[in-house]
Amino acid sequence: MATKHILRAQLRSYPANGHVAFVPNIRKVVLEYCQNYPSSTNTRTFLANDIEHLARQNPHVEFVVKQRNGHEPIARGLYANGRDKVVPLQGFEVNGIQRKIQLLLDSSGAKIKPLKKNNIVESTSQAARGIWSGMHVDTPFKI
Amino acid sequence: MGHASKRLYSTASKLAVSTSQLKQFPPKEAIFRGDSRKPHFFDAESWAALQPPPTSSLTAFAHRIGLGTVLTSADEVRRACTHQSFLNLHAKFYPTSPAPLTNANLATIGNSLLGLFASEYIHASYPHLPTRVLKAAVSAHVGPLTCAGVAHEMGAASLLRWHRQPTTPTSPALLHSDALASIPRALTAMVYQERSLSSARKFAQSFFLSRDVDLRSMIKFRDPKRALTETVVKFNRDRPKSRLLKETGRYSNSPIFVVGIYSGADKLGEGFGSSLKMAEYRAAEDSLHRLYLTRTPSHLLQLPSSTFSSSRGNVYHRSSEEDYVPGELGEAEALYASSGRSSIVAPKRPTLEEEEMRRSGSVV
Repeated sequence: MATKHILRAQLRSYPANGHVAFVPNIRKVVLEYCQNYPSSTNTRTFLANDIEHLARQNPHVEFVVKQRNGHEPIARGLYANGRDKVVPLQGFEVNGIQRKIQLLLDSSGAKIKPLKKNNIVESTSQAARGIWSGMHVDTPFKI
Repeated sequence: MGHASKRLYSTASKLAVSTSQLKQFPPKEAIFRGDSRKPHFFDAESWAALQPPPTSSLTAFAHRIGLGTVLTSADEVRRACTHQSFLNLHAKFYPTSPAPLTNANLATIGNSLLGLFASEYIHASYPHLPTRVLKAAVSAHVGPLTCAGVAHEMGAASLLRWHRQPTTPTSPALLHSDALASIPRALTAMVYQERSLSSARKFAQSFFLSRDVDLRSMIKFRDPKRALTETVVKFNRDRPKSRLLKETGRYSNSPIFVVGIYSGADKLGEGFGSSLKMAEYRAAEDSLHRLYLTRTPSHLLQLPSSTFSSSRGNVYHRSSEEDYVPGELGEAEALYASSGRSSIVAPKRPTLEEEEMRRSGSVV
């Protein structure tokens, strides 16, 4: 019986983020605001007062502040998987803006999949109680 | 904003070069002056590739991987993220500037260190693993693909400075994944330099050795039944005997047989299958897996590199008296094909007659 050769250059391992060390997926948060429009007022207040404390609390994230006149304020989070998440900040109070940025900081950057659509659960860890076998019970099921 | 323009802006923001560190933006070389006699060449992509990543992203990267206190200067991180191929690009555009520091030496040291840590860890954890599987497992844990994956997960892909090298007659093409793989290796070497061997080992443990590797798929047999027989005889046990434990649907289109392989009264392994032969094959494979994949519990793990001192200074200096009991060497696998080269196929050598005929044919 022939076995396929294992090609050394194709050998890989799969990530286990958090098993020993945790690397947060968030890389950068870009905050864009307009200097003149009233929809950016709360964002401007946040940037004047609270952003420094938040940046010091999260040294693993790069915070970028960009002025973009004529546009609505946004917070854009860039992640290690190359995706970005954009959250509009108009209509929020200053603490709401804080919460939206915290949402970006906590996210993994993965696309949000609907969980109720297919009930197939994917996991890399083995079943805790083992997969049931009809042959390994006291009275096996006979066809 | 329309959907397409949003997508464009999103892509642009992902590729954006930070302008906060530049003295002047747009750069002088980009501005076209109609009155100047000199010809105007400016490639925005090359310019973007030449810019160093901003200090803020480098310090954020250092904190993200837990080395905020170890890598205190952004220059060290910049060095770790600069591949050797970048020198070509830099010399082409800035021939008079001093060449930037690269991670070539660090990557080499880091590669050796990672190989050391992975080999001793896997050997100590799985003492009976066959040698070729041990080598494959080391490749899986610290090989080029894993290193590239680790770099991606750390978020180093945007910090890498490199230049694509085409295939030359003397060297293969440089791939993005190989350039990326140099970053975690360089970081391991930096941890070793800044702290100690045990800190570097801890770094390798948390980023490489805790990753998920499927060892079962690496242990393959040409004839597991024969391999099992040879192994059992080597351990001076009774010859293996397979017994049918359970069966159902023998004459249906989906039978299930459960076969156990016994050495005397001890059950070595169990396998299922839709035919008796298949079930016996799986049972033999299962028995060999149970032998080869016996794992030392992590609290009993004894690694040889733990005998090195954990403080800075001479690495050969004897550390404080800690009990180190060397782990037992596992039993070598039974090689059941002649001279251990069963899977290696050598190209067919011509016999003496064929060679003589060829020689005489060429003369004539």
